[in-house]
Amino acid sequence: MDKTLLLKAEVREQKGSKSAAKIRKQGLIPAIVYGHKKDSVSISLLEHDLVEGLKRGTKVVNIQLGENKETAIIKDVQYDYLGKDILHVDLMRVDVSEKVKVSVRLELKGTAKGAEDGGIIESQVSQIEVECMVTDIPSSIPVSVKELGVGDSLHSRDIKLPEGVKLVSDPDQLIAACNVVQEVKTTEELETEAPTAPEVITERKPKEGEEAEAGEEKKE
Amino acid sequence: MAMMPKRVKYRKSQRGVMKGNASRKNYVAFGEYGLQTLEGSWISGKHIEAGRVAATHYLHREGKVYVRIFPYKPVSAKPLETRMGKGKGEPAFWVARVRAGTVMFEVGGVTEDVAKQALVRVAHKMPVKCRFVKRRH
Repeated sequence: MDKTLLLKAEVREQKGSKSAAKIRKQGLIPAIVYGHKKDSVSISLLEHDLVEGLKRGTKVVNIQLGENKETAIIKDVQYDYLGKDILHVDLMRVDVSEKVKVSVRLELKGTAKGAEDGGIIESQVSQIEVECMVTDIPSSIPVSVKELGVGDSLHSRDIKLPEGVKLVSDPDQLIAACNVVQEVKTTEELETEAPTAPEVITERKPKEGEEAEAGEEKKE
Repeated sequence: MAMMPKRVKYRKSQRGVMKGNASRKNYVAFGEYGLQTLEGSWISGKHIEAGRVAATHYLHREGKVYVRIFPYKPVSAKPLETRMGKGKGEPAFWVARVRAGTVMFEVGGVTEDVAKQALVRVAHKMPVKCRFVKRRH
């Protein structure tokens, strides 16, 4: 497990999007601390420290709020529309001796057997939910895909979890599969297959009688 | 004809207004790397097809290309040298509506450098400014 990160925080007096935007301009990130049946506290954190911590895969943080020190896990991180900047962070108070449910990143390791036969690894899930002690939260779980041949798949139940870590996600959940990439159709093939115009569902189709009448009118 | 839906409810649509930024489809979901638009725009079926061909051609059947947008919107046009009036023109092409932040293409199963090179080629085919993005863990 990574060392817990110490984040200096200040209590936010003002709330709302305008004050949050002001805070972000100062290089801080608005956050909230809640849990353990205590009142939730709106705080602001140093952006630089938090971003560095997130890059390292930190899950547990110590928050220095004045003289108080609280331990919390990063529950949720909100990003802007481009996924570039952090807008807000949710921190949930935890006790070091308690068990928590967290989602942990999966790292696919190795080259699959099926790669020689033209297969590629398609990962379906990048994170799984596990239950463990706060002190035992892994930053990532390595998953070997070396044994996967073409057509083989890897499920959550096949993952070797570190000691003290229990799987919470569905054991039948598909993690990765080795599949042969289908031959891509060329533009010409697509064009010949595709209709020139789509079928219109609401289009009024002429009834049999009407069709005959229309035909007779044309003849006249 | 390039990409278009198989069935539609109505043949023609109004132009519509695109406001704001993408609040969905704005992260890499299927592959490892993606191409994200920085502007809102209409992307025609021809653009999408050109991008797909550019990426698959560069990857030489390695990895997988995911196209995350589809042209659902018909755009009508009047024939040349036609006087105004006489109703709305016939559907000429189909477009996908993308808002700033939408991840349009994704690549998986290749290294970052290869994915970047492939997606740069796709970006050159697009009528919008784009950026290369990675899957967020």
